[in-house]
Amino acid sequence: MLLARSRDNTAPEERIKALFDWLGPDGIPSCVQIVPGDLNCSGFGLSSTDYHKLASRVDEIIHCASDTSFSERKRAQIEKANVANLHHLLDFAAKSRCCFFHFISTAYAAGKRRGICPEALVDTRSFFNVYEETKHRAEMTAAKRCGREGIRLNIYRPSIVYGNSRTGKTLRFNAMYYPVKILVFLKNLYHQKHREHTRESDEQMGISFSADGTAHMPIRIEAAPSGGINLIPVDFFTAAFSAIMETALDGGVFHITNDTIKSVSDIIHYTQKYFHITGIQAVQTQNFPPGPQSRLEILFSRYTEVYRQYMQDERIFDNTSAAAILNPKGISCPDFDYRIFSRCMQYAEAVNWGNPS
Amino acid sequence: MTPLDHIPEDIRRTAAQCRHYAMCKIDYLETGLCPPAKKTPYVGYFPQGRMDLCDALAKDLIPVTEAAVDIISSCTLCGSCDRQCHFVTGMRPMKVMQALKAFLDAFQEKGEKPAVILEDEPLKALKNIVGEKWATNDPAHLIAYANDPFPLADRQMPGYVVLPGSADELVEIVKYADRSEIPIVVRGNGGSVFGFVFTRGIIIDVNRMKKIQLDPDNWSAVIEPGVTSFELQKAAAEHGYRVNTAEPAATVCGNIVCTGLFSTWANVYGVGADHIVDMTFVDKHGTVFSINDKNAPNVFGFKEAVLPSPGICTGARVRMHPVTDDEQGILVPFTTLADAVCFAKDISRRRIGLAVGILGGHYLSTFISPTLALAEQTRDVFSGILEMTCVVSVIGDKYTRRSIRQMVPCVIDSSTLKMFMLGLPQLVRSDLADIVQGLESDGPAYETVLSEEMLPVLEKILSPSPETIAAAVDEDLRDFYEALYSRPHMTDMVWLAMFRIVSARMSRHKHMFAFLIYVPLEPVDVIQELITSFGQIAEKHGIEHDLGFITPLDLGKRGILEYDYYIDHTDSKESEKIRLAVADIEPMVDKLSSTCKGVKFLKYIFSQGCARKENFLYT
Ligand SMILES: Cc1cc2nc3c(=O)[nH]c(=O)nc-3n(C[C@H](O)[C@H](O)[C@H](O)COP(=O)(O)OP(=O)(O)OC[C@H]3O[C@@H](n4cnc5c(N)ncnc54)[C@H](O)[C@@H]3O)c2cc1C
Ligand code: SF4
Repeated sequence: MLLARSRDNTAPEERIKALFDWLGPDGIPSCVQIVPGDLNCSGFGLSSTDYHKLASRVDEIIHCASDTSFSERKRAQIEKANVANLHHLLDFAAKSRCCFFHFISTAYAAGKRRGICPEALVDTRSFFNVYEETKHRAEMTAAKRCGREGIRLNIYRPSIVYGNSRTGKTLRFNAMYYPVKILVFLKNLYHQKHREHTRESDEQMGISFSADGTAHMPIRIEAAPSGGINLIPVDFFTAAFSAIMETALDGGVFHITNDTIKSVSDIIHYTQKYFHITGIQAVQTQNFPPGPQSRLEILFSRYTEVYRQYMQDERIFDNTSAAAILNPKGISCPDFDYRIFSRCMQYAEAVNWGNPS
Repeated sequence: MTPLDHIPEDIRRTAAQCRHYAMCKIDYLETGLCPPAKKTPYVGYFPQGRMDLCDALAKDLIPVTEAAVDIISSCTLCGSCDRQCHFVTGMRPMKVMQALKAFLDAFQEKGEKPAVILEDEPLKALKNIVGEKWATNDPAHLIAYANDPFPLADRQMPGYVVLPGSADELVEIVKYADRSEIPIVVRGNGGSVFGFVFTRGIIIDVNRMKKIQLDPDNWSAVIEPGVTSFELQKAAAEHGYRVNTAEPAATVCGNIVCTGLFSTWANVYGVGADHIVDMTFVDKHGTVFSINDKNAPNVFGFKEAVLPSPGICTGARVRMHPVTDDEQGILVPFTTLADAVCFAKDISRRRIGLAVGILGGHYLSTFISPTLALAEQTRDVFSGILEMTCVVSVIGDKYTRRSIRQMVPCVIDSSTLKMFMLGLPQLVRSDLADIVQGLESDGPAYETVLSEEMLPVLEKILSPSPETIAAAVDEDLRDFYEALYSRPHMTDMVWLAMFRIVSARMSRHKHMFAFLIYVPLEPVDVIQELITSFGQIAEKHGIEHDLGFITPLDLGKRGILEYDYYIDHTDSKESEKIRLAVADIEPMVDKLSSTCKGVKFLKYIFSQGCARKENFLYT
């Protein structure tokens, strides 16, 4: 059963159908039943009869709904989605015959730290953003409540998820995609106007083009000496999730992460190669020149500020428990290499970065 | 085929949709006025009157009369009305004018003769006063004085329309009407659209009385009652002055008497008596008095009641204000109305800025967009994506702008606004929205988009030019719009705030039914409560609604708030909704007014517009 709400005047059934249609030609599998309900409301906005009927049919719950915004300004909305709404679901779980709760969290619930992050609930008060904080609180809440109600709990902690490594398909173009998207947006904008010979000089922005259309975009991006971006493709995530769900029957915490961390310079290299851009370079924090940056650099860093932390992340996610399950099954996370990057970007361009216009 | 078949359904609909805001009575786009109307300023000759004539003929409300033939024949199909009307309403009245011609041709081809309307005694008497040409009882003229989009009153045909050429003639008409016990109503340009200017008796149309005499030494202008805000502002501006005016097509005298004349300039220039040096009235018995006369009726006092006006204003000396050559506009965006009110109050109290107004999302986007579709898309971008729920618009000198920049994290200055105005079609088309939506910054999105580094990129995206903006309108209007937007004043906030030629765009999609309330700006809860109540009542009755604007007054102690309901005035079901809504609104505002200092319904100020503002703001 799939609990879904209506949104923007689209009924839950329609939304889920659109999702399955997007996934593949088979549509909604016959075993899936869509239950209209809204986690925003206690009782999911269902009548008491429907609510109890639903509760009587539930054995396990997978909770994957969350608000992935980072912005402090949206704290109330994020807290509501990630913490308050979890309470509604846990209330339901307590009233149902549910015996296993699967909670999809994030590796970054570990909060602000360097070095090893264990696959365990860790008490921490310091976070890079409200998303991390609320996911941490949600883990604690789920653990406490499930413990009290005798419900087993698995916490799955993916790192940064990108599209399908085999097809490049994705629904959202945030996280890893966003800084690349900004660069491509600027390149295309200036390239198009460059061709149109508009009066405005591109020099002001520092962007120039060579005869073959390669864009020179001098941007220095601050990068940590060690660390980088922990990226996993969605197909690995789903395979890992299913395997852990089937195997870890006593409950536990699992990092679904990549053993190979991508450095910022690797991603820059891929981006430049794929999109025919030059001039972007990763500069280590200690070598990052103080003083005024160029317009282009300020602009880029303004737009990607929120991702900066993840571009120079020094957290290392211990995944011993997950690996113990995944390795024997031959499930491993692919390296985010240029081949996969290109596939993802090809898809992004084909669907205009998810923007139908 | 009957003559009526030449008025097809879509033409009838356009004709019935005329908003009656009288914008075709001023030459605000320098297209020239409708040529026949310029010569003979009966409303019937203006495009507005022609729309009414078409509507009336289509509905068989009046016969084809001699005046109807004359009005229709006089149209030169010059196309000015198409441009003027499109600019504010998006409508294309030319097809109505063409249909009228086709109708008349068919009528004449059938050998039909126009009805001759006989003169009666009152008409003869009126003609005696004003001359043969300036009084009429022909229904083709009367129909243009019989209705406006006010949903709570029915059409009312006057007996006569008369256009006096001087104050003396006007006084004679009043005396005659008094003697003959015929009701009279004076009409400026009917732009009050509140059912005020209708009678079964005589309508006095003051449109021949348009003299303006500037008196810079006394910082004032002497005007006749037919002078519109646009005309007076133009004359004052040519001499380096400014008058406080509101709707450009409103007559200044009528506006002062009717509403006390409020605008965003009221922040510094005030309302009501603040505008006036002197005014001359003729009362209903024909007695003339000047309000500065110690023995004159007291027009400066205020009584919280619906009262008649002191009489007909036959002329006024109104205040002119100095301008400095460093004035420019600036917009300060906000995500919440409460913050915007607080800021507007603050700058008003600190005497920062001249014209100050908080504009809701609809006003801002519709004012700067030449089409309805673009306005709607712009609003989606401004409010939905840039998170600019409202803006505080300020006109001020360089010191004002410097202070404001120090007070807030980001502004839209005049050159950025110009960029938006000339590049809007690109804004809504670009991928900018997509990029901005991915922003996770801790400030509102507009702060990032309007950041200094982003402005050159914005310019790239928008490609602002008269050509870009003209691409948004119908193809056959593009050359005209391109030439129009090549004129600097079309994107100059100061000019636009002074001449207000875009404000009627608020009703482009539907006629607005405006509620105006004087309010305290502090605590902001009062404003919030009013807005919530207006919203709830509108929702209850299924009426489209929105906040209009709020302007601070008297150093931010008070303000005036406009909340608008939008209706299709040709739909009787919508009128009924308004009727029911008003029955909820009046007690709501009255109750708030009785419990909360500073809340006053404009309804009680109508016709007491000469009152001292202190008499209604602080009582
Ligand atoms: C889109 C729009 C926006 C508006 N915004 C504002 C605004 O911001 N501020 C504002 O103040 N108003 C505003 N109004 C209202 C309108 O401008 C005023 O009601 C103004 O009075 C209309 O002027 P008019 O000459 O057309 O008056 P009319 O509609 O002709 O007359 C209005 C009233 O004044 C009386 N009157 C007219 N002339 C005289 C005279 N010479 N002596 C005595 N009484 C007279 C009439 O009998 C009638 O009762 C707006 C109207 C519209 C349509
Ligand atoms: S087309 Fe006719 S109605 Fe329109 S402005 Fe010209 S003369 Fe007047």
